[in-house]
Amino acid sequence: MKEIFVDLDKCVGCLTCTLACAAEHSNSKDIVGAMLEKVRSRIAVESVGGKPVPLMCRHCEEPACVDACMTGAMQKDKVTGIVTNEGHEQKCVGCWMCIMACPYGVITPVEGETRLALKCDRCGGKEVPACVASCPQGALIYDEAKVVAELRRHNAAQLAMSKAV
Amino acid sequence: MSNCQTCSSAAQCGVSAHASVNQMHERTKELGVTTVFDRYQQQQPQCGFGMQGICCQLCSHGPCRITPKAPQGICGATADTIVARNLVRLESHGIAAYTHHLEEILKTIKATAQGKTPYTIGDEQKLREIAGVVGLDTTKPTNALAEELADVMLHELRKGSDEPLALVKLFAPKTRLEAWEKLGIIPGGPLSELRDAMTKTMSNIDTDPVDLLLTALRLAISTGYMGLVGTITMQDILLGTPSLTKSEADLGIIDEENVNIVAHGHVPLVATAVIKAAESKEMQELAKKAGAKGIKVYGSMCTGQELMQRSATSAKGYAGQLGNWITQEFMIATGAVDLVMMDMNCSIPGMKAVADKFHTKLVSVDRILRMAGVEDHVDYEPEKVSEQAKELIKMAIKQYKQRDKSSVVIPKGKAPAVAGFSVETILGALGGSLDPLLDAVKQGAIKGIAAVVGCTNNRNGHDSQGLTIMRELIKNDVLVIAAGCMSSASQIERLQTPEAAEEAGEGLKAVCKMLGIPPVLNFGSCVDIGRIGVAVTAIANALGVDPSQLPVVASAPEYLEQKAVADGVFAVAFGLLTHIGPVPPVTGSALVTKILTEDVESLTGGKVLVEENPVEAARKMLEHINQKRAALGI
Repeated sequence: MKEIFVDLDKCVGCLTCTLACAAEHSNSKDIVGAMLEKVRSRIAVESVGGKPVPLMCRHCEEPACVDACMTGAMQKDKVTGIVTNEGHEQKCVGCWMCIMACPYGVITPVEGETRLALKCDRCGGKEVPACVASCPQGALIYDEAKVVAELRRHNAAQLAMSKAV
Repeated sequence: MSNCQTCSSAAQCGVSAHASVNQMHERTKELGVTTVFDRYQQQQPQCGFGMQGICCQLCSHGPCRITPKAPQGICGATADTIVARNLVRLESHGIAAYTHHLEEILKTIKATAQGKTPYTIGDEQKLREIAGVVGLDTTKPTNALAEELADVMLHELRKGSDEPLALVKLFAPKTRLEAWEKLGIIPGGPLSELRDAMTKTMSNIDTDPVDLLLTALRLAISTGYMGLVGTITMQDILLGTPSLTKSEADLGIIDEENVNIVAHGHVPLVATAVIKAAESKEMQELAKKAGAKGIKVYGSMCTGQELMQRSATSAKGYAGQLGNWITQEFMIATGAVDLVMMDMNCSIPGMKAVADKFHTKLVSVDRILRMAGVEDHVDYEPEKVSEQAKELIKMAIKQYKQRDKSSVVIPKGKAPAVAGFSVETILGALGGSLDPLLDAVKQGAIKGIAAVVGCTNNRNGHDSQGLTIMRELIKNDVLVIAAGCMSSASQIERLQTPEAAEEAGEGLKAVCKMLGIPPVLNFGSCVDIGRIGVAVTAIANALGVDPSQLPVVASAPEYLEQKAVADGVFAVAFGLLTHIGPVPPVTGSALVTKILTEDVESLTGGKVLVEENPVEAARKMLEHINQKRAALGI
């Protein structure tokens, strides 16, 4: 199962990922169109002490939001692992327990709707999610956990050697 | 607050180093209106591409950003080209604004010489001296000579880039001229230089980062001698050279019982006319009829500094300085300001939202300044300014009648300040010669001189960087000269009082006490950075050395806008170590960064120092001063 990983050091806070997310979820499929349609991004870049921190749904193995959802609007797909309310949003009653439960704060109410939560749907199973594809710095990585671990190990080894020299 | 370092300046950990501004920020929150501090937070995180200067938006192929995946723009431009080009474009903006200021002054001198304005030539001695230097017949009557000199300056302003600027040849130290000639950067008229720079920085014309940086130096020299030195000299001739004076600063000086007018911006022409008109019986009576005690004209930003510097002469009646760039929304939030006259530069749209919470009226007094929602324009015309001044005061009186006394909140803080310093004032204080000052430097009582100048910024807490640096420097016996927003910063925190000598090191303290001067001398507005150039030139000439050999440094610790970019590059061209904070948008290019912070020293003797920790920055400047002292054998 591929996951979205974040290499914090590489993020420069340009917000391209948020624009790409909005474009992907717009009718026009482009950034300018998404702005005209007022489509919101499902991922966010927070700032801590001036350092950017991208945050998006982790599509948890045991999602607190799904557990908290009393109507079954929020579900985790057994095959793809994607956590989303899309396709069953009519069940949502706007109790916002999903927002309360999510430890990352990446579920938000849809503006102007009293009964609809908005969150990352991992672009509906796209080969590479739009945010990851758009990141100019390579700060977002979409891969298997073990591949990412290998990559980080390799980088750590390189760093250790460069400091030893 | 990003990059917050525990600083010694903030009375408490607030958004500003000034208690008055922190208090007014709480007030704006109560009023439900956002200000610069809130919007700064909303803008986080800010884009790293822009911060590093590696975003190019010049052509429709773009925007291009330089990334590991895309090390060149679509046209092939590298990070080096993009960064250098962006820097020259920033600087060009600043130069454009400086030339506007100079042109307004020159137009005014001509109209004044023809007897069409309320102003009179304020410094005849300087007029004759400068007229003599540029080769005019100084036996002519004052007005005729003033008009001729203004014409000479207008000609200089519009000279081609292939005609060397006379003012550079006449005023620059010989050693500087040699250095600049070697680099081929003796400039022509600033308007032509500006045109060349803008042409070069169009897509695909000048894409050589090194040539672009040389262009930056050339532009800065043109600005230095016209936009800075030229402007202050002509302004002195028109409004009088600054002379020693006592004044006050901080929001606590606002007096509720008066019609309150604020002069905000950079060009002190309308403000001077308004101060004069406010004293007339006709205006005083109108104010009294409206129920006010009288009329007060306060200063804000650089216009305020210009007025403070001349408050013993052409700006007699000036009521004191409210603050700098960041203070502008907060002075309105007191609810006791009736009219803000905005002249060229530094009027932020955020003022309008705060003004709309009160009765405060914003009015543009310069044809090039406009703001959404501001309907009133009394665009300065030298021949009409007497009437315009009255019109503005009447507007203020009308607004005063609508003031809601119950919503007025004025902080208590007010600080005394001694101002009006200039080369002439210092010479006067020293009995006509720089020798006592130079002896103090030679003997080490004063280790060196630091010009702490330029804007203010809230990346590190409003004014806190600048104040920490000033305090560290004076503690180490470095005499500080302040100009621009940094002047307000030091005034409000009482560093421009003789008593502040107690904060200085033993050597500087003794000198201050002997002369009765503050350890931080107010040289005035940001354009008065030209005055610092004149002072450094005088010191270099007196010692028979090049400015780059002097124990002198410059610091723009909280630079904000494009004029400051031009000032900073000028200081580097002039041969000074120039500390700049926050980090300017050049770090995306290793080449440009290296040239500005290292290589340029072998060409001009100056270089950029980037250091965000204010204590560390002061230490490095001190180290530089000590190196220069050692090299001079003092």
